[in-house]
Amino acid sequence: MEGVGESTLLTLGAARSGRRSRRMLIDLLFIGGLRAVALLSVVTVLAIIGVIIAKGLPTISWSFLTSPPQEGMTSGGIYPMIRGSVLLMLGTLVIVLPIGVLGGVFLAEYAGQNVFSRFIHASVASLAGTPSVIFGLFGLAVFVIMMQMGVSLLAGCLTLALFTLPAVVFTTENAIRSVPESFIEAGMALGLSRWQILWKIVLPNAMPGILTGVVLSTGRAAGEAPPILLTAGIYYATGSLPRGWDILKQPVANLPYHLAEGYRQGGVIPEAIVWGTCLTLMLFVLIINIWAIMVRVRVRRRQRW
Amino acid sequence: MRRLGRLFDTTVYITGIMVSVAVLVMFYYIARESTYAFRQTFSWGYRLALLPGDADSSATPNSAPYSSLVAVNPEGADGLDEKEEVFPAPTIQQMQDESALVATATPLASDLSQIRADTLYRDDWRSPKPAEEGTRVLVLGYAAPGYSLPTMYLAWEPDHSFEPRLASYRLVLRLLRAPEGVSIQPFEIDLRKQPTGRIALPTWVAQTDAERTQGYVFEVAAIPQTSTFWATLRGVLGTEWAPTLIYPRYGILPLVLATTLMSILAMLIATPLGVATALYLSEVAHPRVREWLKPALELIASVPSVVLGYFGLMFVAPALQAWLGQALGMQSGRNLLTTSIILAVLAIPIVASVTEDVLKAVPESLRESAIALGLNHSETLWKVVLPAARAGVVAAVLIGAARVYGETMIVWILSGGTATMPAFHSPVAFAQSLVSSTRGVPDTIAIEMGNVTFESVHYGHLFLLGLVLFCLTVVVNLAALRIGRRQVWRV
Repeated sequence: MEGVGESTLLTLGAARSGRRSRRMLIDLLFIGGLRAVALLSVVTVLAIIGVIIAKGLPTISWSFLTSPPQEGMTSGGIYPMIRGSVLLMLGTLVIVLPIGVLGGVFLAEYAGQNVFSRFIHASVASLAGTPSVIFGLFGLAVFVIMMQMGVSLLAGCLTLALFTLPAVVFTTENAIRSVPESFIEAGMALGLSRWQILWKIVLPNAMPGILTGVVLSTGRAAGEAPPILLTAGIYYATGSLPRGWDILKQPVANLPYHLAEGYRQGGVIPEAIVWGTCLTLMLFVLIINIWAIMVRVRVRRRQRW
Repeated sequence: MRRLGRLFDTTVYITGIMVSVAVLVMFYYIARESTYAFRQTFSWGYRLALLPGDADSSATPNSAPYSSLVAVNPEGADGLDEKEEVFPAPTIQQMQDESALVATATPLASDLSQIRADTLYRDDWRSPKPAEEGTRVLVLGYAAPGYSLPTMYLAWEPDHSFEPRLASYRLVLRLLRAPEGVSIQPFEIDLRKQPTGRIALPTWVAQTDAERTQGYVFEVAAIPQTSTFWATLRGVLGTEWAPTLIYPRYGILPLVLATTLMSILAMLIATPLGVATALYLSEVAHPRVREWLKPALELIASVPSVVLGYFGLMFVAPALQAWLGQALGMQSGRNLLTTSIILAVLAIPIVASVTEDVLKAVPESLRESAIALGLNHSETLWKVVLPAARAGVVAAVLIGAARVYGETMIVWILSGGTATMPAFHSPVAFAQSLVSSTRGVPDTIAIEMGNVTFESVHYGHLFLLGLVLFCLTVVVNLAALRIGRRQVWRV
């Protein structure tokens, strides 16, 4: 210390306080920047949704939603497309629910923790990350051509079911894992067998989570165009559908296909109808989402664990 | 009851195993369908003509009146019906005034002795074509008696849209036989090295119709060098995607590169925005603010991508064109840049949501120690929390990238649709290709699958494209899973 003069010490102190104020400035800027970026992201999201609502809302009316298109898609409503999307979603739900839930049960309760279960996780995770157009290709090759279903509602539902499968499996697994250990232990203490515990304790408690998750993912899948594009779509839809099981063999018009094929055909559909269809499709998915989230919140509130 | 339980167990096991092999089954079938790509037969086409000895260098076989198209196409893809395809070779009578001529002879790929002077055809379009590698086609050359110059040229050029440099087999033009009394060195020309050209020949005149077969005999032959498998793979690695040409080209590089560029650009936009949003949500925001912001952000994840695509088409593309079109020389708002922007919008919530989960998993003790050491908030985030969550953030970005890489509808609607190689030779050219029309892998599959004949070569190549996309996304996803798993906290 002897060699250090008073002035040096002073300079050091000044530098330190200078550095502190610089640090504070950087801190302010950094946190402010984060705030700004987050705001930007959220504003962008809301702006996009806002624009679609603003542009689409004038078109939407009761008759737009309940009448078939007329004059080669240039006027009229989009009822067959809405009906097709609902049908596709219901069919997907029916197929994916048992398979996905059982798959989730398998992952959560049966697979254990070993190399094998890691392989299964990796495999389902890769399925989850696979682009939707690949599912379309698979559906085309296997359901449409090999099994000779043709382009049909059934082929579309099967393809979409495969597409939503990983999401349903993971949702089920998470829902089952979030059932408290104490419930299961209580069941064991009562001398229940493994499948009784599953059937009577785990599944009933996990069911709300599973169901909302499944509805959520099928709703999202119903908005995806590529799988349906190659397996189930038809552009010129009529107002009527065959009764009974024959409906499964028919291609169905649906909202995402209508938008995609409309674009391929090169702007025949007037812009107002396009915006209206976009908004309807978005609302279709959003309403399902919001409903699922509300159910989840209500269930969370009821079960206190 | 116990039996029911066992039944349930069995069902669960079977379903579980089915679910876990689903991805392998998909891989198998997509790979199986892509074998149709390897059942291709290669086609080639050459136009040959004799030109007068005084023809200037601009004369081409196309301009010669009796040029011959030597084409070997699969399944009559030349687009002519049978009637048009009969072109009898003109008799000496007919061509008295003309100077010189080349004719092909039927039957095509056979030996000289089978050629008969009374059934000569000008080209081979009429005949059934053995469109395989290894085909040889004979071409007869002679001049009419009215021709007086001492030499004539044999000229050759590839048929429209045929690119011999891309051929996966050797294509040669050789002199098979010189007419009697003419002394000429035999020649053999590699058409891949010399796609167009001409060579001088001493004149030989056919005095009668019967003599037409006595003149020059040339041969165009395709000589296979590799198996169809390697030849197809070589074609796939080409730089041009043009499956609807008469001589189709199935090079996937422009598509793969375009999709890769789009994804990189989109992730360059989405990564900072997504990570910053996640940092804000998880580390800065008041819990009540977060409660509102997070669902708002998740809303976009539920907007169907086709709607996002239309939003880009009708809102972003025109705006970008009006704003930057002049400055960047954009021809249309539908280009790689616009696509990347909308793809980024798709990726931001994914990156943000996964990153936020990762940040939440960083133990509180790390933050507390950082603050105890005198770090302020931003330093804690930048020097402690983010490095601690590094692996997870990388995983989040990879998951977002895989999602963007396979996105179909946005690219379909916004990319413009021309398959061109991005230019890398200069920064300006590269920037230019960023704002020009392009076409990616997933959208090509979706668009072209609608018009393709099932189980054709083109169909096979679309599945091959799907296989490439599938493998790439699976690898990226597994990498994300592996990197993400590295982040296990033992506290």
